Amino acid sequence: MSEVKSFYEVDPKGQFICHKCGIPLVKSDAVFGYLNNAFPVEMPVCPKCGFVYVPEDLALGKVLQVEKVLEDK
Amino acid sequence: MDHFKERSTRYYRQTPLFTKEELAEREFKCVHEEPAFCYAACPMKLDGRAFCAHIQKGDFTSARAMLERVTPFPLILASGCSGPCGEKCRLAEIGDSVDMPALERAALRLGAPKAGKGLFKIKKKKSCAVFGADLFSLILAAELDRKSYPTSFYVSESSPEEIFEKYAPFLEGDDLNTELKRLTSSDIKIYFDSALSKEFFDETKGNFDVICASAKFRDALGFGSPDDITLVCAGTSLISSSDSCRDVLGACFDARRAAVSADRLAQGLDPSNMRGEEGPIVSRLYTNLKNVLPSSRVPEDEGYTAEKAVEEASRCIQCKCEECIDSCVYLQYHKKYPKILTREIYNNVDIIMGDHMMNKAINTCSLCGQCKIVCPNGYDVAEICLKARENMVSVDKMSLAYHEFALLDMLFSNGEAFLAKPQPGFERCRYVFFPGCQAGAIAPESVEKAYKDLCSRLPGGVGLVLGCCAAIAKWAGRTALHDEATAQLKKALESLGDPVIIAGCPTCMKMLSEDIGGEIKGIWEVLNETGLPEGSAKLGRKIILHDSCSARGDVPMQDEVRALAESLGCDLVETELSRDMTSCCGYGGLVSNVNKDLARKMAENTASDTSLPYLTYCMACRDNFAKIGRESMHILELVYDSPAHDCPGISEKRKNRLELKNRLLKEIWNEDVIEMTYDFKIDFTDEAKKQMEDRMILDTDIYALIDNFRNTGSGMIESATGKINSCVRIGNVTFWAWFTESGENEYTVTTCYSHRMTIETR
Repeated sequence: MSEVKSFYEVDPKGQFICHKCGIPLVKSDAVFGYLNNAFPVEMPVCPKCGFVYVPEDLALGKVLQVEKVLEDK
Repeated sequence: MDHFKERSTRYYRQTPLFTKEELAEREFKCVHEEPAFCYAACPMKLDGRAFCAHIQKGDFTSARAMLERVTPFPLILASGCSGPCGEKCRLAEIGDSVDMPALERAALRLGAPKAGKGLFKIKKKKSCAVFGADLFSLILAAELDRKSYPTSFYVSESSPEEIFEKYAPFLEGDDLNTELKRLTSSDIKIYFDSALSKEFFDETKGNFDVICASAKFRDALGFGSPDDITLVCAGTSLISSSDSCRDVLGACFDARRAAVSADRLAQGLDPSNMRGEEGPIVSRLYTNLKNVLPSSRVPEDEGYTAEKAVEEASRCIQCKCEECIDSCVYLQYHKKYPKILTREIYNNVDIIMGDHMMNKAINTCSLCGQCKIVCPNGYDVAEICLKARENMVSVDKMSLAYHEFALLDMLFSNGEAFLAKPQPGFERCRYVFFPGCQAGAIAPESVEKAYKDLCSRLPGGVGLVLGCCAAIAKWAGRTALHDEATAQLKKALESLGDPVIIAGCPTCMKMLSEDIGGEIKGIWEVLNETGLPEGSAKLGRKIILHDSCSARGDVPMQDEVRALAESLGCDLVETELSRDMTSCCGYGGLVSNVNKDLARKMAENTASDTSLPYLTYCMACRDNFAKIGRESMHILELVYDSPAHDCPGISEKRKNRLELKNRLLKEIWNEDVIEMTYDFKIDFTDEAKKQMEDRMILDTDIYALIDNFRNTGSGMIESATGKINSCVRIGNVTFWAWFTESGENEYTVTTCYSHRMTIETR
């Protein structure tokens, strides 16, 4: 089982600002979970409120791919 | 019971799909692997189908190699073959059979001989002796030599030429020389001018492990006739030819069987042991001759030229049974015939840990049942796929992801959009109209008009039930959910006085008949009885009537619909897919939830005629045909002259159902309806709308997302563009959207996406 790994640069220009806290999202550890499996990944996270941003290409790419593999386990 | 709790891949449970006997019973029905009739009839087991296929391609060398494999003297066989395959050839039923002996001769003449000597074979330790020459013993000696037995051949003749002259007199010229060379270049030790007497036999036989004799010498020795199967003379270990061995083919066949007995005896086994299938058999293969034209044999004259041989071999229709595959897009897509598919599904269900490779195949059958009709033995792939789904759900091996959207849609139909009301003025009704969830979703106006019409023209009151017949849960294999939905419908119908159900959808009609029982009629039947309402459309043009797959086998329903369509002025066109032969539009079995491309292919295959419009009596068929650009209409659209609009999207289908319910509640039952509204407005860009449709995201999901954003402020702003990104978890899915605030309480959504994984910080 290949794990979801960090494969893109997390917010290289520091453009992502948490709407609630008004501070930039930072690279931090997050855990994807599905069907009782967990995958640690580095994601843009708000250090204050914990909002994790999942970009579209990740959701429809690697995340979807891993979901499909697990669904047929 | 929580039907929507995600399973765990770490939870291991499994129950067999079928017993071994049940599996064998199903697999036996598929005759795809059965041998061709020519092969079955040939005692030498020459696969005429493959042989002709080689010659069709002009590959005489491969064809020749096939012959050389079946007998050590192929020219003897080809020259004297009586061709029993000809009688069994399916072409013989409509014209001439393929002239296999002539093709055999052509292959041997036109094909190149095997190059080289082949692999070096170590001779076996046990030795064989063959006494007396005849055609059988000549071939047997060669068969034993091919099996690497040191073989001694005792003959009274003086030379190989004399043997061939006496026992294969039909060979001449080059053919004779070839076979002579084959004999002389073999490792058989031939003892010419042997004095074949009992004394000589008794003296010599002790030197060998296996003893064989020609029929004449066997009689001279005073042995009785050999066993019909093993060819071993009773009470001895002498092998000889059978009494029925009278021609070339008989000699070749006996020699082959005798060589098998020699093998067994050399191994110290009973010669009847493990002989496998010998001689002609009966094939259960089915070959459809519908599109085959009768033809005559190409005359052989002085022997086929390459062109003539190819012409004759091209008459072979390559008998195979692919009736189901020819008709079914699903089987074509998965490139498997039912027997293999069943075995793989069976194994898939049996897997406890690891990848379930057949999940997609299990979940993409439309369950339409066409295979059962087109298969000569009634193979029912749909039953197997449905049972597999139910099995996997029962042991928590079926992922919710496959069918969750459809199941939630069913819960919406039987929840928010559900309605069960008697006609005003009646507590109990004689009838109840059940239009089906897709009718309300796609053509709500037709449903409204139909209900009002039925109320006005049928006595005793007509109730209305808007909801799902539970087909969705059944197709998903979710039996518990199916039972709950059925119980809900039963309760609703009881409250209306168990009226006669007037179904507006063939699938609902079938489901309700199976699950609820009682008297059920199709609306087409009722309209035929009552006559058309005022203002119905008069079509007056040619139109293809597409039968619903749920109407398969229901001839009265098919007839009623035709009668109604004709009264609407339809000039009905029947096709190869009419009535019981119909195929699925891609809606059945929830295919589109699992594989949209395959569902589309199904629709394109079913509505393949682009020149004429399609008339349907199932709203899903109408919708799916329209989606692929066919002009299609549901029969109720014509009856009530209320053409449905363009294909509604997934959100609009829900909205239509809810609005229909609310409108009827207000208009007919004067009930106030509280509609859920938001205090903000969302505009979706065209790109976002397309994404939502493709990614199965409802506009209500995005409303919930923005509502959540407004309440919690949770989200993120991209400083360069000012765009906002936020998400919301609804059930098992996290929905995401990019949007901007386009005004006070107004948002413009530009991108939507979703995933099922959960995400949290550590």
